[in-house]
Amino acid sequence: MGCCELLLLHTTIKMGSRALLLLRPTTSTKDLHFKSRFLSEALIVEKRRVRSYSVRSTIHPPDLPRLAETARISLTPDEVEEFAPKIQQVVDWFGQLQAVDLQSIQPAIRADTKGENLRDDVPETFENRDAMIAAVPSYEEPFIKVPKVLNKE
Amino acid sequence: MALSFFRGIQSRPFLLYPSGFFPRKHALFYCTMKSTQTQIATHEKQEPQLKVSTQSKRLDKISKDFEAVIGIETHVQLSTITKAFCSCAYNYGSQPNTTVCPICMGLPGALPVLNSKVIKFAVKLGLALNCKLSLNSKFDRKQYFYPDLPKGYQISQFDVPIATGGFIDLDLPVEYGGGHRRFGITRVHMEEDAGKLLHTGNGSYSEVDLNRAGVPLLEIVSEPDMRTGIEAAEYAAELQRLVRFLGVSNGNMQEGSLRCDVNVSVRPIGQLEFGTKVEVKNLNSFSAISRAIDFEISRQVLLHNEGESNQIVQETRLWDEGAQKTVTMRKKEGLADYRYFPEPDLPEVILGNEYIDGIRDSLPELPEMKRRRYEQMGLSMQDVIFLANDINVADFFDATIAKGADVKLAANWIMGDIAAYMKNEKLSVNEIKLTPQELAELIASIKGGTISGKIGKEILFELMAKGGTVKGLITEKDLVQIVDPVEIQKMVDKVIAENPKQLEQYRGGKTKLQGYFAGQVMKLSKGKANPGLLNKILLEKLNAKS
Ligand SMILES: [Zn+2]
Repeated sequence: MGCCELLLLHTTIKMGSRALLLLRPTTSTKDLHFKSRFLSEALIVEKRRVRSYSVRSTIHPPDLPRLAETARISLTPDEVEEFAPKIQQVVDWFGQLQAVDLQSIQPAIRADTKGENLRDDVPETFENRDAMIAAVPSYEEPFIKVPKVLNKE
Repeated sequence: MALSFFRGIQSRPFLLYPSGFFPRKHALFYCTMKSTQTQIATHEKQEPQLKVSTQSKRLDKISKDFEAVIGIETHVQLSTITKAFCSCAYNYGSQPNTTVCPICMGLPGALPVLNSKVIKFAVKLGLALNCKLSLNSKFDRKQYFYPDLPKGYQISQFDVPIATGGFIDLDLPVEYGGGHRRFGITRVHMEEDAGKLLHTGNGSYSEVDLNRAGVPLLEIVSEPDMRTGIEAAEYAAELQRLVRFLGVSNGNMQEGSLRCDVNVSVRPIGQLEFGTKVEVKNLNSFSAISRAIDFEISRQVLLHNEGESNQIVQETRLWDEGAQKTVTMRKKEGLADYRYFPEPDLPEVILGNEYIDGIRDSLPELPEMKRRRYEQMGLSMQDVIFLANDINVADFFDATIAKGADVKLAANWIMGDIAAYMKNEKLSVNEIKLTPQELAELIASIKGGTISGKIGKEILFELMAKGGTVKGLITEKDLVQIVDPVEIQKMVDKVIAENPKQLEQYRGGKTKLQGYFAGQVMKLSKGKANPGLLNKILLEKLNAKS
């Protein structure tokens, strides 16, 4: 099992980037968000592989076109060339976790076992809805407008 | 194209993704919900009386050599006040996009907090379905891209669902041959609903309403234990009864609070492995479930018989209510890859034995228990199924017999005149003015001879429409039955004296006229004469040699 650790780190990255986005919602975060999302996909794919292999297997190089598809991102051949080594680098970094000996460790279904954080079923109105709706780029009262959704076939 | 588009919307990363992005498992289902919702007839109240179609008769003929295997996935929307992971209220039919917040709109940085009611309801349903509960379960993220899913993933449960390995018991309606069935339940898990995607008629865009995003659902997966459309429809009807009895959902199919997707395959009888499985969606009523499955079975068996079984492919088909057939929605290109992983923003779900026992002890009497109890009271299966179908009707019946009413008579009144009145007036049993107390009183008054059955009926309608008490109405309207022979004899004499012509005809052999005389006497008594006494005295007088 090394997949839990992998997941955790992956999540940390994802959450981190989300938080950053919140703080700086302008141009400089574009690349960051793009990359982190792409990496997330890479790591999810890797995690799956790891799970199906035995402990301490080597991590295979990511399949860039497939990752791009699952992340809904189109890449030019130049971009594939540019990103491939970078993503490989990060995947290798996570791959180091495979060295941890977990033979004697009970698999955990969750990372934190602190327990419950529940709330009562009591309604509360979010007060800043107007600002939130105003931030929707394409809104036509009362709906959010999106490009027409078509069946793939 | 995606990359440039994506860059364009980055600064508002919670917002949705461009078109042409690939449909995912539930996509078209939700899309189609809207267009079909308007044309659905209200089957609900009459359920589960399904009509036998000519199609299913044809089915009997062609499927002698084949067996259908049917499994059902059901989504039940929970009747919590608030959503699963945020405090937004959910009310069906609210103005679009009014009950939303950063959590259910998937804004960056917003964190989900689980509604304790969701766990409670899941445990209730898990116990009612005789499942094993996971003392330790977790949430996972199911990733897919669709405009009604603001986060880009659905919070669900993947490999450790809250409940597994149960079963559900039901009785098939007598008109379909009856019979008791037990169907296996594979699992029950908690998840959140997506928003609603609406397709405008002509425009080049679609519309999204996120009020439903984040509303709690329980997904119930059955074992592939059903063999006919009727069995599948009855399974769904029993699930609806169960969630209503438990109070965890309104189970309303028209509003989409109970949604069924069925998997159908056929195989030659005797073959162990399953045939190719076809998924059918867009089933908005129990009768649609039954008819869609029977259609799908005939379609597949026909392909088998024509040597074209390779034409049966793994696909999702939609039930077309207008055309009464299933049509291809999309073919499966390998299994969808949802890239599940544990939801890092939510802690594990821990159930204590004390908590579970507390809920088990507070479970109401469930439909199956009710049916068995009614059966033991000596009621017919038809009565049993009718009375236990609706929890309010069952409660009304139970309250009536608790007041001492005769079981069979109470059942007859409820299933006869009361049910007919409710149907005509489109009222539920809770909306009529008659109380169980007064129904019991009415039954006792007839049984004890205070009033005749005919007058009882008249009083019943008055009680249902206006309320009041049986005793009050009897006194007010002077309705006490006349059982005094002398008084009845006086009336008989009067009627005979006033109808000499008819008397002559009667005595001339036209004995059918007895009915005429009886009617006249009853009329004179304002319906209060005891019919037995009346007829006895009348016959004596008519046949007496004058
Ligand atoms: Zn919310």
